[in-house]
Amino acid sequence: MADEVVDVLIVGAGASGAAVAWSLAETRMRIVCLEQGGWMNPAEYPSNGRDWERRAAKEMQVSPNLRKRPADYPINDDDSPIAILNFNAVGGSTILYSAHFPRFHPSDFRVKSLDGVADDWPIDYATLEPFFAENDNNIGVAGLAGDPAVPAHRPPLPHLPMGRMGETMGRGFNKLGWHWWPSDSAIITRPHNGRGQCLNLGPCNTGCAQGAKSSADIAYWPMNERAGVELRTHCRVREITVDNRDMATGVTYFDADGNERHQRAEVVVVACNGVGTPRLLLNSTSARFPNGLANRSGLVGRNLMLHPWGAVAGYFDEPLGSNFGPQGCCILSQEFYETDTSRGFVRGYNMQITRGGPPVGTARGGIAHGTIPWGAGHHDAFDRLFGRNIHLGICCEDLPEEHNRVTLDPELTDSNGIPSPKISYTLSENSRRMLDHGLARGAEAMEAAGAWKIQKAPSPIRMAGWHLLGTARMGTDPERSVVNEWGRSHDVRNLFIVDGSVFVTSGGVNPTTTIQAVALYIADSMKRRLAELFD
Amino acid sequence: MTQTQIIGTDNPLNDDHRRILAIVLDLIVPASEDGQRPSAADVDVLGYIRETEGHTLDGLRAELDQLDAEAFESQGEAFASLDPATRQALVDAVREREPHFMRTLAMQTVTCYYRDDRVLEAIGVGARPPFPEGYEVPSGDLSLLEPVRRRGQIYREA
Repeated sequence: MADEVVDVLIVGAGASGAAVAWSLAETRMRIVCLEQGGWMNPAEYPSNGRDWERRAAKEMQVSPNLRKRPADYPINDDDSPIAILNFNAVGGSTILYSAHFPRFHPSDFRVKSLDGVADDWPIDYATLEPFFAENDNNIGVAGLAGDPAVPAHRPPLPHLPMGRMGETMGRGFNKLGWHWWPSDSAIITRPHNGRGQCLNLGPCNTGCAQGAKSSADIAYWPMNERAGVELRTHCRVREITVDNRDMATGVTYFDADGNERHQRAEVVVVACNGVGTPRLLLNSTSARFPNGLANRSGLVGRNLMLHPWGAVAGYFDEPLGSNFGPQGCCILSQEFYETDTSRGFVRGYNMQITRGGPPVGTARGGIAHGTIPWGAGHHDAFDRLFGRNIHLGICCEDLPEEHNRVTLDPELTDSNGIPSPKISYTLSENSRRMLDHGLARGAEAMEAAGAWKIQKAPSPIRMAGWHLLGTARMGTDPERSVVNEWGRSHDVRNLFIVDGSVFVTSGGVNPTTTIQAVALYIADSMKRRLAELFD
Repeated sequence: MTQTQIIGTDNPLNDDHRRILAIVLDLIVPASEDGQRPSAADVDVLGYIRETEGHTLDGLRAELDQLDAEAFESQGEAFASLDPATRQALVDAVREREPHFMRTLAMQTVTCYYRDDRVLEAIGVGARPPFPEGYEVPSGDLSLLEPVRRRGQIYREA
C-alpha cells in the first residue's frame, strides 16, 4: 500500500472533500480520502436520550479547544474576538451545522465591480448555478421556489415548516415592507436517497439522530464508497510532499495507530477548511517552498474572513411552539443584503430566523440573565419565555484584509506534534457598522412582530466562527491569488484546493451550499481537463 | 468523624448538608401551585451533580457550610431550624452580597429539573427525548408571502 500511487488523494472528508470525491468517482480513477476524524454514529447523538441538552453542551461543544475529542486539534484564537469553531469527523463541520442553506447572490462574485471594494471572483454565479443545483439534488435541499432575493431555482424538496413563529416574524417583516422567505435548508422533508425525512427533533446543531440533516457523512459518503472511493479515517496529514519539479508527490500522515506513513498520489486535493488548509500548506515546507507549499504569493493564510455574527432575541406573549422545529432553519430576510451606501457601510447581511430555546437552555439562560428568578416566580417566568421566544441571527459579509490571517503557532501542537494554527483577526470598521445596523434592524423586526421584550446580544458573538473563508484565494494572477480560476495551485500544478479557503469574498450568508457548489465546479473542471490537467 | 464522612465518596454530603440542600433547592424551584411541577427538592439534583459534575461538590459543600455559619451568626441557630421567611431572607442577603453564591447550584438544579418526566410533561414537550418521535410543527401560511412576491426581484444582476 505504501508504494502504491493513487490517482487522487483528498485530504479531508467534510463538505467540500465529500462533494469532490463524489464528482470524481465517475472517472473510475483510484481515489483515496484521508480524514483525521472517524465516523459519527447517529444512534449516539444526544437527541437519542433524555439528558440531551447537557450532553450536547459537552460532547458536541462547538469549539475544538473545549471539546477536545481525539480528532480535534487545538487552535490559538486568543488574538481574535471571534473563536474558531469546527468539527473533525467524516462529514467535518456539517456534523454540527444548522443546515441553513442560502446561496450566494450574483453580486457576491462582482464585489469590486459593483461596490469598489475587495476583488471580483474569476467565476460568477452563472458558472456555479448548475453545481448549486447538482448539490441540491445530491443531498436533498428543502425550500420554496420563487424567492425574489436570489436567482430563480427550484429546491427539490418542499420547504421546512415555518410554524407559528415563522408566521409571526413574517407578519412583522410584512409590516415593515421587508423581504422574507422560507429558507433553503439542507434537511430532507421527504424520503431522499434512502434517508428518512425530518421529524422536527430540534437540535440539528448537535448532530441529527434521524439522519435527515444532510451532513456530508450521510448525504455524500455512502454514495462515494459505493462508487469505489476509499475513505481512511483517523489519518491526520502532516504535510504534502513535493519533488524538484514543483509537483506534489503525496502526503505524509499519521494513521490511527500513530504510525507515520506516506501515500503517493498523482493529484492532491486539499479540503480542510479555511483554517485547516492554510495550516497544512504552511506546515508543508521544503527547499523549494520555504514559506509553505503553494505560497509564492505569500497569501496562504491571509485574508481570513469569518462572518461576524450578531444576535437578537424577541419574547412574545402568545405561545408560538418556537421550541419545536429544526433549530437553525425557518425563514430568512435579505432586505439588507445588497449594498446601499446610505447605511454607512458597503455590502450587507442575511437575517436568519432560528427557533426558540429548549427547556434547559431556556432555564439556564433565564437564570444567567436574571429573567427567571429563584422562588415562587420561577414557573411563571419560565412559561413566559419557553416556546415564546424567537432568535434572529445577523450574518455579516466580512471583507478580505491581509492582516486577518492564519499562521502557525510557535508552540502549540496537536496530539501528533503537528504545529497548530494561530489566528490573528480584527473586526473592520465596515463590519462593525454592519453589525450595529443589523442589530438595530433585528430589534426593529422583533418589535414589528410584537415582541414584548427584545435582547440584543453583545456582538460579534465570540462563539460564532464557523465560516472559515478566504485563506487560499482564487484568482487569475499568481501574484494576487493562491489557486487559479478552477482551483489549481498556481505554484503546484497537481495540487487543488476545494474548500472555503478559495473564496475571494465571503458573501453574507452561511457558505456551505456555495462551498459545495465551488467544489463540484472544480471537480468538473478537473474532469474536463484530464488530458491536460497539469499543463 | 461521622459515619457519613467515612464513606464520603458515595455520600458526598452529610445529613446536615443534605437538609440544607433540600431547603435551598426548594428555594430555587418550588413546586408549582397547580401541583403539576414538583419542587426541585423532589428531583435528584444531588445524584445528578455526582454523576455529571462531581468536581463541584467541594464548592457546594462549602456554600452549604457558609449558609449554616451565617444562620448561627445572625440568628443563633442552624439554617435548617429557621422559619421559611428567615431562611429566604438569609439566602437573599447572601446572594445580594455575593452574586455568584450558589449560581453553579442553580444552573445544575435547572439542568436536572428540566429533564424530569413530571416537568417535561407539564411544559408540553413530553417525557421523552426528541428522537425518535419528533414533534409536529405547522407548515405555516404561505399566503403571508404575497407582499414579498408582489414587490418582485430585489437582488442585483451582475
